[in-house]
Amino acid sequence: MPLEFQTSKALSMGVELELMVLNTHDHNLVRGAPDLLARLDKVELKGEVKPEITESMIEVNSSVNTRYDELLEELKDVRDAIVAAADRLNLAVAGGGAHPFHKWNEQRIFPTERFQRVSSLYGYLAKQFTVFGQHIHIGVESGDDAVYLTHHLAPYIPHFIALSASSPFSQGEDTSFETSRLHAVAAFPLSGQMPPVRTWSEFNGYFDEMLGYGIVASMKDFYWDIRPKPEYGTVEVRICDTPLTVELAAQLAAYAQTLAADLLRNRRDDESNRVYRVYGYNRFQACRFGFEGELVDPFKHTHTKLRDDLLETLERLGPAAAALGTTLPLAAIAALAASEQNDSRWLRERYLETKSLPDVVRLQAGRWRTEPGAGA
Amino acid sequence: MSLAFLPSLPFEMSFALLFGVLLLAGMLGGEMARSVRLPRIIGYVVVGFILAPLTQAMGIDPLLEGARIFVDLAIGLVLFDLGRRMDLQWMKRDWTLAATGLAESLLTFGAVFATLVFLDFAPVKAGLAAAIAMATSPAVVLLIVQDTKAEGQVTERALNLVALNSLLASILTTILLASAHLQAHLDVENTLLHPAYLFVGSLLLGGLVASGARVLARAVDKTKELHFTLIAGMVVAAVGIAAILKLSVILSLLSFGLFTRNDPRNYDLLNVNLAPASRLLYIVLFVITGASLPLPALVAGGVAGVAIAGARALGKFVGVLVVAPIGGLRLRQAVGLACALMPVSTLALILHRDVVRHFPEFGVELSSAFLGMVLIMEIAGPIATQWGLRFAGETAPREEIRMAPGRDAARAPQA
Repeated sequence: MPLEFQTSKALSMGVELELMVLNTHDHNLVRGAPDLLARLDKVELKGEVKPEITESMIEVNSSVNTRYDELLEELKDVRDAIVAAADRLNLAVAGGGAHPFHKWNEQRIFPTERFQRVSSLYGYLAKQFTVFGQHIHIGVESGDDAVYLTHHLAPYIPHFIALSASSPFSQGEDTSFETSRLHAVAAFPLSGQMPPVRTWSEFNGYFDEMLGYGIVASMKDFYWDIRPKPEYGTVEVRICDTPLTVELAAQLAAYAQTLAADLLRNRRDDESNRVYRVYGYNRFQACRFGFEGELVDPFKHTHTKLRDDLLETLERLGPAAAALGTTLPLAAIAALAASEQNDSRWLRERYLETKSLPDVVRLQAGRWRTEPGAGA
Repeated sequence: MSLAFLPSLPFEMSFALLFGVLLLAGMLGGEMARSVRLPRIIGYVVVGFILAPLTQAMGIDPLLEGARIFVDLAIGLVLFDLGRRMDLQWMKRDWTLAATGLAESLLTFGAVFATLVFLDFAPVKAGLAAAIAMATSPAVVLLIVQDTKAEGQVTERALNLVALNSLLASILTTILLASAHLQAHLDVENTLLHPAYLFVGSLLLGGLVASGARVLARAVDKTKELHFTLIAGMVVAAVGIAAILKLSVILSLLSFGLFTRNDPRNYDLLNVNLAPASRLLYIVLFVITGASLPLPALVAGGVAGVAIAGARALGKFVGVLVVAPIGGLRLRQAVGLACALMPVSTLALILHRDVVRHFPEFGVELSSAFLGMVLIMEIAGPIATQWGLRFAGETAPREEIRMAPGRDAARAPQA
């Protein structure tokens, strides 16, 4: 049975944010999600707040938006509601791609049945799986568009990595990476990127083959950085760490939306194979060095600094941004890239100041509840 | 040839040996309790019950009395840890938490007081006993939380309520002690000045020690090891200073912990985990507690002991079940919370000891009734706490996750 692609309004967008639930005495992960969700049940919200794989994680799902400013307002409302509920329960909530010092063997993560399945199948890999990401959905009108966009967003994946990076610490150590979260995903067998199919029917052929091998049961079994999401009629960018603020989360969504608008309007016929040949290298550069990473352009045979490539792209997107109403968020992203002040850097600076990871998490939770610039 | 270098008979028992024996015996007792799924604490206490007649027979009773320094240090650590978990900001944000604490404390006081007056004890004595009965054992609750890896709303609220009722119990006891003095025709100055000195002095000491700890923390590197040593040193010193100045160890250390936590301006002091080291002291604490509880009190105290225990449980249950749900706790959680507050032990013993010291007229009769209640709750309390936290769904599951590949290796997880 072929996968049916639900069409949706082109360039509509939505985000999913996975958030940490923390205690307020040592700011470790704590199983507070059920109580928090029970409280939030009584609050009228546009989107949804849902449970996740562990009880120290909650997931915010925004509703479908077409405009950046509406998405931002919605995310702020959800954030405020979460903060208010958490305050009453003496819990803290924070963004960030990985908890800086959470140790697997402390077993703060309570094993649900699904988690036990994961850990029995993946062993040590499951150990690194307590990570927190932002997923961005961009609506497309057809499965063919989804396949096209999935391939053509791939060269920009390093941008999203550098912009959202917020997991420099893992298991109590500075990993020296801008994001440590992506390693957790990369080791899973069905991670990486979509194979070089060109149309939705080709994709269905591939999917049926994998189904026939008994390797996958549904689209959810693919851990790709970008994947079509036929149930929603969207392309899902899954590469971002959850940022430390909802403001950045909305800006990242706006960037993806504007890129998609440009790519769909000015169709290219690049050979995706070539992009994928350098994909792993570029991705690593972004994870390790952030804005300072060196990106390889497979067509021009050049090396460019990630920051410069990003700024150039933003420049090019000017007209598309003006049409979509995303000029403001893209300017914010340009400023972020120019100053190289991403969340990972912010976290490292806080660690230098406080010399204590619990204090870093405390400040991280403070940053989540306030707007940037308002102080932690 | 002189053999003076050889030890002379009979061998003399030393503190070091005693500490070691208590520790090892306690540990073994704890593991035995664990193997039948009882809280370890019960094992520690039962070892104490068994050791008490032995030490009496061996004539090392005074040594055991001298070992109280370990108890004081353990209590110091417990209260500091508890103070650190008490969150005044939370109580401000959620008034129902403080209200639950007040309700359960006052109802406990009322129920125990009424029961004792009904049993024909003098009101002043009944009031003292009722005030002491308000306190939940911080050591028992903290240890069970550690042992079961409990976490969640019930656990956090239980720890805050324990801090609150310990605080209220020690304040009320001090005040009632003063009125007892007044009845005993002591001079008015002493009657008023003594509680004032205890209260203000202890708070001041806690605050000063907390400031001192912060100053020292800024002077050394911010590492877990150094800060652990620093806190342990400050706690031990604070216990010592409180003793020298005849202040309340309970209030001083509780406020030390409280000041460390509830200072939003600076976070110089790391929130180090004291559990592994304090475990050593806790084991000895409970063994000695067991050893110092006269088992015959259970018989002598008899019905009165059971009645006090029942009244106390009733007060706590009604207080928690009425107020906590207003704050959004589900019934299951409220029941778990009430159960978690059951343990009475060391703190009550120390308050009791203080009372008897200042006010010997407390009376043999009431003492044995009271100790009878303590004995009952020494066993029932830890079981109630463990059951309550489990009932609320906050303890870690009994079976550890096995990392070996399962037989039905499942499909890939969802991202």
